Amino acid sequence: MILRSLAVGAWRCFVEPVAVGPFGEELNVLFAPNGTGKSTLFEALLRGLLDSHRASGREVEALRPWGRALSPRVTVEFSHDGVEYRINKQFLDGTFSKLERKEKGHFRPIAERDSADQQVRALLTQNPPTRGLAQARNWGLAQVLWAPQGSLALEGLTEDLASNIRTVLGAQVAGPGSGPLEAKIRELYLAYFTPSGKLRSGRGAPPLVALTSQLEEAKERLRRAKELELAFEETSRRVEHLRAVRAQARRDCDAIAEALKKARENLAAYTALKAEAERRKERAEAAEARYQSLKRQVELIAKTEKEIEDAKRRVAALEEGLPLVERERESLERETAAARAAVEDARKGRERVTKAEEEAAAARKYVDLTRESEALGKTLAAIEEAERVLAGRRKARDALVAPRPEDLKALRRLVREREETRLKIDASLITLEAVAEKSLALQVVAGEETGKRKLSPGKPERIAGSPEVVVDIPGVARLRAWGPTGSVEQHRSALVRMGEEISRRTAPFGTENLDEIEALAEKARALDGEVAQAKARLEALVGGRDRGALVKERVAREAELLRLRAAHPKWVKSPPDADALAERAGRLRRDFVALIEAKESEWTKAQAAYSATSVRAQASRSELEASRRHLASLRAQLAELTADGKDHRERSAELRELLMTWEAAGEGLREVREELERFAGDPAVELDKLERQLEAAGAQAERALEGERTEQGRLEQILAQAPYSVLAVAEEEVSDLDRAIATERIKVEAAKLLYDTLCEVKAAALSSVSEPVELAATRTFHRIAGRRLGRIRMGEAFEPLGVNPEPTADVVDLADLSGGETEQLYLATRLALAEVLARDERQLIVLDDVLTATDAGRLARVMAVLEDAAKRLQILILTCHPERYRGLANAQFFDLEEAVRAGRASPS
Amino acid sequence: MRFLHTADWQIGMKALGLGRAGERVRQERLAAGERVVEVARAKKVDFVLLAGDLFEDNGVDRRLIQRVGDILASAGCDVFIIPGNHDPAVPGSVWEHPVWKSKSTLHVLAESRELAWRDVIFYPCPALEKSSSRDPTAWIRAERGERFSVGIAHGTVEGIRQDEPAYPIARDAASRSGVDYLALGHWHSSAFYQDEEGATRLAYSGTHETTRFGERASGNVLVVDIATPGSPPAIEEIRTGGLRWEVISAKLRSGDEIGSVLQTIESLDHPASTLLTVRLEGILPAGAREELERLEEIVSSRFLFGRLEAQDLRPSPEDDSWLAGLPAGVIRDTAERLRRLAATGGASEREKIAARALLELYALAGEVRR
Repeated sequence: MILRSLAVGAWRCFVEPVAVGPFGEELNVLFAPNGTGKSTLFEALLRGLLDSHRASGREVEALRPWGRALSPRVTVEFSHDGVEYRINKQFLDGTFSKLERKEKGHFRPIAERDSADQQVRALLTQNPPTRGLAQARNWGLAQVLWAPQGSLALEGLTEDLASNIRTVLGAQVAGPGSGPLEAKIRELYLAYFTPSGKLRSGRGAPPLVALTSQLEEAKERLRRAKELELAFEETSRRVEHLRAVRAQARRDCDAIAEALKKARENLAAYTALKAEAERRKERAEAAEARYQSLKRQVELIAKTEKEIEDAKRRVAALEEGLPLVERERESLERETAAARAAVEDARKGRERVTKAEEEAAAARKYVDLTRESEALGKTLAAIEEAERVLAGRRKARDALVAPRPEDLKALRRLVREREETRLKIDASLITLEAVAEKSLALQVVAGEETGKRKLSPGKPERIAGSPEVVVDIPGVARLRAWGPTGSVEQHRSALVRMGEEISRRTAPFGTENLDEIEALAEKARALDGEVAQAKARLEALVGGRDRGALVKERVAREAELLRLRAAHPKWVKSPPDADALAERAGRLRRDFVALIEAKESEWTKAQAAYSATSVRAQASRSELEASRRHLASLRAQLAELTADGKDHRERSAELRELLMTWEAAGEGLREVREELERFAGDPAVELDKLERQLEAAGAQAERALEGERTEQGRLEQILAQAPYSVLAVAEEEVSDLDRAIATERIKVEAAKLLYDTLCEVKAAALSSVSEPVELAATRTFHRIAGRRLGRIRMGEAFEPLGVNPEPTADVVDLADLSGGETEQLYLATRLALAEVLARDERQLIVLDDVLTATDAGRLARVMAVLEDAAKRLQILILTCHPERYRGLANAQFFDLEEAVRAGRASPS
Repeated sequence: MRFLHTADWQIGMKALGLGRAGERVRQERLAAGERVVEVARAKKVDFVLLAGDLFEDNGVDRRLIQRVGDILASAGCDVFIIPGNHDPAVPGSVWEHPVWKSKSTLHVLAESRELAWRDVIFYPCPALEKSSSRDPTAWIRAERGERFSVGIAHGTVEGIRQDEPAYPIARDAASRSGVDYLALGHWHSSAFYQDEEGATRLAYSGTHETTRFGERASGNVLVVDIATPGSPPAIEEIRTGGLRWEVISAKLRSGDEIGSVLQTIESLDHPASTLLTVRLEGILPAGAREELERLEEIVSSRFLFGRLEAQDLRPSPEDDSWLAGLPAGVIRDTAERLRRLAATGGASEREKIAARALLELYALAGEVRR
């Protein structure tokens, strides 16, 4: 189709009629600023060719110019297959549609109203578009050829258009009439599956879904039925088991009862034997007792008789040995006395020893007293001398009157205070100083010292006084000076008191001169030192003792010396040798002690031997006495034992008889015991055990019966639910559903296989068909954007899917390309498809304000591509940037603004 | 002495794969029981022997037990029953139902011990558990005398193939045990075993009503006459089954063969009591689809139960006339591909689906053409 002209009226912004044309067969550029109505013209072209003139609805209502009740109308002149046509349509009110054909230079009507609409649509595409022009998929060929404002994107062609393209490309993808069959196949598929390939659910779900759901429910019922069946079998087994347990318990009871009966009989026999055994045991024990008694008597008699013999021998032995012991004792007694006498003799030597020791002691004392007496004499002489010195020094000290330290300290303080008082007085006095220029005399009327005084020239003269100083200078003036009164008197009084006190305190020393008094005090201290020294010497000599006592002590020693000299006159001339005498006395003492110890030892031994023998003799006597008593006792015991008057033979015979009786009784007891031992334990214990066993077995039978009743009740409850019948029905249900599902599944799977196979076959066919388009689009794309992005890949409906850069086999999605590259790719695709559609006839391609993202460099290449395409296509470009297309060769430009003003736009 | 020998009533059995007909099949077993009783009365038998598996399971609906008890009590003679491996005498079994004690003519022989009744000594061999590998008749030691000796057992005679041991019974069990007749149950088809003297003293009566497709010689009872103790029994087989279980199989090579099958089906009597399975395999000619549909319609609607198994049918590989009628291009290519898938000769699920898909395509193409 070639567009010749387009005219609209009462169409949105075009209230007045506007016509554009005639368009050239190659490149046409319709330009105008934004808002002028370029896209409105695009819409008018679309509706004029493809829409029904009776279209209504809000979209169509919006075509009226705002605020006007006008009916939009459009006229399109075009040529198709070499024939010129004109279609006139008015929408909304007074609708009409008229198709005219140019015949002999004039347009003649060929169809009106719906027929006119249908014929135009049939001219433009084999499968006329349906209603709903808002969507490009309803535009027929225009969905490829016409790109609406700013949208070069191509989402995929409708099946009829794609089919047209494939047909043109010569592929037998779908033969004639295949569309309806494909639709049927798809319909069959969609009866079971969703377009995304999932099994349908909900109201439109195939029976398979409901059957599957029913099967799940039936399986649940079957599961419950099997559980019930299983419960029945298990409960039945439990009842069987409990019956067996009960039967066994009953058998056990019977067996135990039988055993119990035997056990009771055993117990009776056992009890009787026990009583017999007891009786026999008593008899045996009595026989044994009698035997043992007689046996003991016989043995005792024999033993007593033997003991009597032994006792006799013992008494005889003792009676024989006792005199010998007595003699030995007497001999030892004598020896003891002799030893004692020897000791006494030895002890007599003690006096000589004592005398020697006393002489040695006296000699020692004499020597010591002599020495001590001489020493005491010397000490007393020294004391006497010291006492004399002390007395002299005390006398000198007593003669010196000197102040005590505390008095001196008080005196010093007084003198110091007096001096301070004097200074205070001097400070308190009013002083008048006169320096005469010439000699003159003055009269002190009031002052410390009144009277006349002479003044020498240049020599100052001070007159002091208090409370005033009054001086008369005869013939000149009376001078009077005064000041504060009172204090000087107080100081003077104090000074007087101090002077008196000092006088009182220094009176004993005969001077008030403190230095002299200090010298006295110093001298006194020296004398005190000497006295103390002499006293100390004296005390050292006396040593804390009384001198009288020392004298008395010396006298006592002298008296003792006199007594010793009287006792030992020779010592007067020759003093004794105390050491030699002491040595001698010591020697005598040691000899004496050794002698005494030896004698006392002998005496002690003799005494011990004597004591031992005495004890032995006493013991022999006692033993003899005891033996005699024992013998008597034995004889009495024997008499008692033999009191029966029997002799040994008689007793032996009796003993043998008793032994035989005892043994017979023991044999009887053994027999009974052997019988008892055959009982392997106490039958009473076994009886007790059996009774308990019987009780336990009975209880077990009772429990089993109780359990059996419980389980039987449960069994009946289960049976009341007819477990098998329920199971049978459930299994049948599951089986039927399984079979129905298998049948349905075959149907569903067959529909899927049919559809999937069709799709696979189709995809394979389409792949071969779309390849030339892909290659053509790729070539154009490479011219614009270069080879970097590789080959364009298209989908089944010729929609671009992406690009395939050469280094990789992966397809790069369009979303990963830039905006400019994307629109260039779409342009290349549209041109490639348009070339296919234009093989039989030149076609109009409309580009409404596209390529907005393409840069200037690539736009120049796009211009070259468009110029090439214009050789086979009529191209109409709507743009607000006419300058961008000025470079196009052989392009016709239409100014829409001009058309609005003039009512028509012609090529400029 | 005359008695009726029956077994394996399997009352309450499940009927898998029969859909709504399952319940009818179950009911028919009771009706057949009534027919057995009618035979007993008509033949004036002295007693009836029921050789096990009177019930399908011990867990059947209690009402069925009462109903069966009532039917058997109406026989007009004494009925001697042994528990079988399906209804062994265990706690909770059908034999604990009060109906057996309430009817004086019904005797449940649940112990393996002799029972003297009139001039007969019975040797019952009841099943006390579901399976056993011991011969239940091994204990019988019958002595020929003035009384008839009759054994009743439930098990498998040696020589019959079995997967698991199920009460094996020696083939010479009757002669070895010395009984005049040993009535057997367990196998649903009637069977007779002659001893060395040519007398048939060992026999299965089979079930009184057929239980499934393909079960031969079933739906009968045996009426046994023994003139004197030790004399050979005379056995009469009498039909009691009410349902017909028909299986029609055909291997198709042309459209005419479907017509032939259809004729066979049309000729079947008593469709209301007939259970029918039609199995078709082979080649489905292009023009035979409508006939096949007609066949399916008749099978599924006319009979008590009908099932057409045609999944093994394949569209003819040689006949591609209908393919030529398909639109050229992808449709025809699709059909070719499906035909190749379906015609590989196997019977896999995939091939069945492909065959079905091809048939669907065929049907759709027909719709489009119309």
